Amino acid sequence: MEVFSRDPVLLATILGTSLPFLSMATILIFTRHYPMLSSRISVSAIGFSLVSAIFLLVKLACAPGPIRYETGWLSSGLLHVPFGYFLDPLSLLMLTIVAAVAFLVQVYSLGYMAGDPGYSRYYAFQSLFAWAMMNMVIASSMLQLFIFWELVGLASYLLIGFYYEKQSASQAGKKAFVMTRVGDVGFFLGLIILTIGYGNLGISDLNTAASTHVLSQNLITLSALLIFCGVVGKSAQFPLLTWLPDAMEGPTPVSALLHSATMVAAGVYVFSRIFPFFSASPDAMAVALAIGTVTMLLASTMAMVTFDLKQVWAYSTISQLGLMVMALAAGGYFAGVYHLTTHAGFKALLFLCSGIFIHQYHTNDMRVIGKQGGRKLLIPMTCIIVGALALSGVFPLSGFFSKEAVLGALAENSNPIWLLAGLFGAFLTAYYSFRLIFFILCPQGGIEEKHPVDEMDAHVKQEHAEEHHGYLFWAMAIPVMILSALTLVLGFVEHPLENFMAGGIPTHHMQGVQHAAEQAHGGGHSWLLIAGVSAGLLGIALAWFEFGRKKAARVGFLGRFPTIWKLFERRWFMDDFFRKTLDRFVYAGLTRIFTMNDRRIIDGGIDGICFFTEAGGRLFSFLQSGMLQYNLLIMVLAAGVAILFFLV
Amino acid sequence: MNNLNTYLIISAFLFSLGLLGVLQRRNLIGMLISIELMLNAANLNFMAFNRFLSPEPFVGQIIALFIMGLAAAEAAIGLSIILALFRKLHSINIERAQKLKG
Repeated sequence: MEVFSRDPVLLATILGTSLPFLSMATILIFTRHYPMLSSRISVSAIGFSLVSAIFLLVKLACAPGPIRYETGWLSSGLLHVPFGYFLDPLSLLMLTIVAAVAFLVQVYSLGYMAGDPGYSRYYAFQSLFAWAMMNMVIASSMLQLFIFWELVGLASYLLIGFYYEKQSASQAGKKAFVMTRVGDVGFFLGLIILTIGYGNLGISDLNTAASTHVLSQNLITLSALLIFCGVVGKSAQFPLLTWLPDAMEGPTPVSALLHSATMVAAGVYVFSRIFPFFSASPDAMAVALAIGTVTMLLASTMAMVTFDLKQVWAYSTISQLGLMVMALAAGGYFAGVYHLTTHAGFKALLFLCSGIFIHQYHTNDMRVIGKQGGRKLLIPMTCIIVGALALSGVFPLSGFFSKEAVLGALAENSNPIWLLAGLFGAFLTAYYSFRLIFFILCPQGGIEEKHPVDEMDAHVKQEHAEEHHGYLFWAMAIPVMILSALTLVLGFVEHPLENFMAGGIPTHHMQGVQHAAEQAHGGGHSWLLIAGVSAGLLGIALAWFEFGRKKAARVGFLGRFPTIWKLFERRWFMDDFFRKTLDRFVYAGLTRIFTMNDRRIIDGGIDGICFFTEAGGRLFSFLQSGMLQYNLLIMVLAAGVAILFFLV
Repeated sequence: MNNLNTYLIISAFLFSLGLLGVLQRRNLIGMLISIELMLNAANLNFMAFNRFLSPEPFVGQIIALFIMGLAAAEAAIGLSIILALFRKLHSINIERAQKLKG
């Protein structure tokens, strides 16, 4: 206790990051049957985490270096794995983001999930999710990080498959779990190689060792590529990106959490966490850059053809994650992290707004929502436009600043193709987000007025109207408004944030970062600002031309090419490819051999043992005559023989 | 006549009689009675040894008393087992209890 009173930082860290776990345990064990109590417990736990995260951020804003609370966990010979908390600017920033988004999402869920039969379970899983993510963020060694990384995967599996009685939901949960697991195998192999080759999994040690050339180049490249596999799985990069759109099966607030601050952000976070390590291997960075670019473009094209509100944002998340990976891989450490930050804000905003629409109209189809008068919901409509503008990178919203930083980092690269891809991606992003906005804002043929057909309908309407102005509506509206306010202001803290982040990188790296940052902003790249914004505005203009005008056909230019439409709609046939590969190689080949092994060798062996035992039993069973007195007689005779033997 | 061997022979005879009864009678009550015979043979032995070999401490007599108590307890348990068996088989013939025949 005395330690804590002397060190409030440690106290805040421990309390802030373990309260959600306690709340999960309490809900699952004690308060499952009291939904309101469960939600109060969960929300207050995460609220306390938010307070302590902000306290840590403020308290340590001017700390000279990272703070580590560590204890040796595994130590044997050359192997050293620490366990503890690692507080540096990156983890503090991420901790605050996670706590803030999780808190807002949980408050929002008070309204969105009201009356759901699994209300307590929902809050328990939300707490688990927040706990796992926060502990992943402040982990001090890669192994500890990996453990919580898997727990994040588990929590997202539970939440995606929350409506488990629905076949598609449980399938989507399984798909998310299995696909990310494929990447995680790579991650774990990378850690094993590092353990063998270096023997120390501490994050700061790893970064220092990589950048001071203690490790051999091949070792770094190999393990960096393998760890990047984990990033690919978790952050839904090419080719493991198809689980994320399916993850929409969960409740909308879960999607908001999943897509902004937790699950998918974990991959990018790991990339930036060991950024110096990655950047010591130019080959791994090149691979990451290519994968990020491909992901960004592929996902943007998919978003252009879907009519599902949530799917558009899901694809856009994938493409923005691709953009972050591109930024990091191009050496723009701050740009990547900054985009992660702003993206967490506006993507949560977009999902939560969509959630209000979906809650209101009980459909995911943007055309139907527009027809039924989606634009009449003023608060979510305004907020979703703010979010979409931020996503498109329009001044003065947060997305503008971070996207410019990313483009600046890409412009550093000698090959202009990456920058062009980035600009093209910005154009597509603006196009598909405003396609959605215009579908809701300017529906074809105006709004269809629904007339109350009978009393039942009128009753339903009245209920809805009550819901609108009651506590449930404001539980959803207030988080949305807070997030839009954040989206408005987050852009203007870029420079303080940049200085703050620069403190986190070891000194020999700082020069490069500052150099890149100077170049990214203003210095010689003023044309980039214009190019970036005009790409966004061009996309918005095209969307307006095709979907927003009064006389617009509302099909889009892709509608004229059914083949390409189909290609985009079927996600470039990636799912079909996986399905075929699975069917042909795994099920037809491996699985058959394994089945045969199971049936013939394992089952056969056990059956054989059983057969011999039984036959042996039959052979000697005549000894059991079933006559008590024969047994007695044999016993007496045996005793008599023994007595004769010993006495005579 | 009044020496140790006479008593030992009588007791051996009683014991063999009891053993024969246990082995040969198919009636459970009969078996129980035969067991009592065997116990009494042992009792007789104890008394005889006590009387002829070490009369001073009455250990043999005390043990004989114990055996009588034990016999009473054993009879109670045996009878209750027989009763349970009778409820199940409606007979106290030992040949009917053949469920464990291999």
